[in-house]
Amino acid sequence: MSSTRITRKVLVAAGTVLALTGAAACSSSSDSGGSGSKGGASGKKVRLITGVKSDPFYITMTCAAQTEAKAKGMDFSADGSAQWDVSVQRPLIDSVAATRPDGLLISPVDVSALTPSLKQIQSSGTKVALVDTTVTDTSIGITRISSDNEKGGRVAADALAKLMDEKGSAIVISVKPGVSTTDARIKGFTEEMGKYPNIKLLPTLYDNDLPATAASQIQSTLAAHPDLGGVFAGNTNTGTGIATGLKQAGKQGTVKVAAFDAEPDEVASLKAGTLQVLVAQDPGAIGKEAVDQLAAAFEGKTVQKSIGTNMVAITKANMNQPEISKYFYKAGC
Amino acid sequence: MSANSQDIKPTAKAPDAPESDGGRFAVPPWLRRAAGVSELWTFVILVALVAFFTIAAPGKFFTTYDITQIAVNASIYLVLGVGMTFVIITAGIDLSIGSVLVLAAVSAGEYNVHHGGPTAGWGTVVVCVVIALAVGTGWGALQGAVVATGKVPPLIVTLGGLGAALGIAELATGGQDPAGAAATHLQNSLGFGKLLGIPWMVILAAVVTALFGAVLGATRFGSHTLAIGSNPTAVRRAGIPVGRHLIKVYGLMGLLAGLGAVMWLASYGTTSIAGHSTDNLKVITAVVLGGTSLFGGRGSVLGTVIGVFIPAVLTTGLIVIGVQQYWQDVAVGVVLVVAVYIDQMRRKTRERA
Repeated sequence: MSSTRITRKVLVAAGTVLALTGAAACSSSSDSGGSGSKGGASGKKVRLITGVKSDPFYITMTCAAQTEAKAKGMDFSADGSAQWDVSVQRPLIDSVAATRPDGLLISPVDVSALTPSLKQIQSSGTKVALVDTTVTDTSIGITRISSDNEKGGRVAADALAKLMDEKGSAIVISVKPGVSTTDARIKGFTEEMGKYPNIKLLPTLYDNDLPATAASQIQSTLAAHPDLGGVFAGNTNTGTGIATGLKQAGKQGTVKVAAFDAEPDEVASLKAGTLQVLVAQDPGAIGKEAVDQLAAAFEGKTVQKSIGTNMVAITKANMNQPEISKYFYKAGC
Repeated sequence: MSANSQDIKPTAKAPDAPESDGGRFAVPPWLRRAAGVSELWTFVILVALVAFFTIAAPGKFFTTYDITQIAVNASIYLVLGVGMTFVIITAGIDLSIGSVLVLAAVSAGEYNVHHGGPTAGWGTVVVCVVIALAVGTGWGALQGAVVATGKVPPLIVTLGGLGAALGIAELATGGQDPAGAAATHLQNSLGFGKLLGIPWMVILAAVVTALFGAVLGATRFGSHTLAIGSNPTAVRRAGIPVGRHLIKVYGLMGLLAGLGAVMWLASYGTTSIAGHSTDNLKVITAVVLGGTSLFGGRGSVLGTVIGVFIPAVLTTGLIVIGVQQYWQDVAVGVVLVVAVYIDQMRRKTRERA
């Protein structure tokens, strides 16, 4: 039934887009493009559009980008879509395009649907940097900065294998096949787990983002494989379902659970012992790096086409060390 | 939908109407329905599945652990399925249940967040339960009122409700599940607690099922529900307030969605706003598998119990014997169509006789 929701949103968005196109047409006649200053990053107008405004991952990224932009004297402001939805993000892009910024940092929520909007904004002279997510069209963006998801999968595998004493069965429960980031994580995880001869990796299961399905899947897996020692959870919903399933089976803590990201409630779960490994991305570095690359472009220096940021495994043992706890995502700047 | 079924019903239902009326005086109707051939068929399918998996995975499938696990995971769907059985028997449908569950969970969860969070006392837990049940019942009754008075098909009313309830829940929370939505007291009692080795979730679902099974089979409320689904015009002419009854039936569905919300909070500890988009399809599948007619007038709670367990046993069993995941969706789909096909064949032969 989600299709009905989508239809509803599309209708609303279509209306918004129509209204905004009108507004954009008006403002484009008054020539306010560019800030006039040549060379140097200072005074340049830079905008950031994130995937989901209220997501701690993006909040952390925004905070770091803001700090870096301020230090470079840029005129910086950020916004994000309310939901992970093309029809919500597109009007945002169009309204930002109307203000003709010098630089745009964006986490596109779709690999192709936003290409026309981004092409348009790029052709009007705005320098675009893709942060976190990307689009398939390689002509878009002067730089692409994201976590190295395959490496993240490897980091998760190593941390999990260590907690499992390098023996027993392990399984990946993910959201759905065909999502570039999670597919890359699973690929890395699978390859790295292959290096541990005493760990048997079971076929990946998909729960379609439904915690109830994940709970039933983990319990069924336990019935078939009592030696199950580790689970790699695809996202927060999956993690919730796995935690409930393990608790009902009385296996919480015995079966180790690794999850991606280090959002505040995940850190709380790590403390409480529901999760044993968090693989944190470095959204702060993504934001800072993107501002630096834009500045380099403004100053006419060389720009790195693609940057993969680091990932780190957080466990209960190391979570209090300052060089690890700095990776916790923030709920506000 | 109800407009259509009115045209079909008198002809399709006429043959067995006198027979079932006569039977109601002789044998208690719940007993008749319990022994109904329709449930027997689906029950045979369920037993066959259990037997197959037990043989295919000896010592792994039909174990205490596995039965408990299947029952716990099915409990919320069972509670929703009981309500849906009533709705579908009136020739209606409720697509909004997942969203109503989320709305009830969010309402209760937000109260809990502001009154103690995870460490909230029993008083807060009780208020949260009342809030969830009230929100669910209120929303359900409202939808029932629109169906009854506005002559808007239930498919459309609840389709609107599906979007609206979820939208309100997202507005209230900003689209993010609030942290601390469930009290530890609630989780440790209803969520993970057991009585004599049986989880409270399963006991609660069993009580709800038995209670409303009896209501459908042995009370005037139940026979009015069945009658409205059979022939609303006749029922109206007999002086039974059809509209008021529909409001009660949709209110009951809402109440059980609210109860589902409490059970969800208890076992998952979070509102899972994004995790209920397919609850309606799962529950409707179970009810139809259980032999309840989408055209109304026929159905039983016992059938729904079997209908909930067939997909649950299938998915668990296929994981246990190690079948690739994509086959699970195929298998559930095939079993659904086969079960309804057999049911139709059986009905055709009965009508000929």
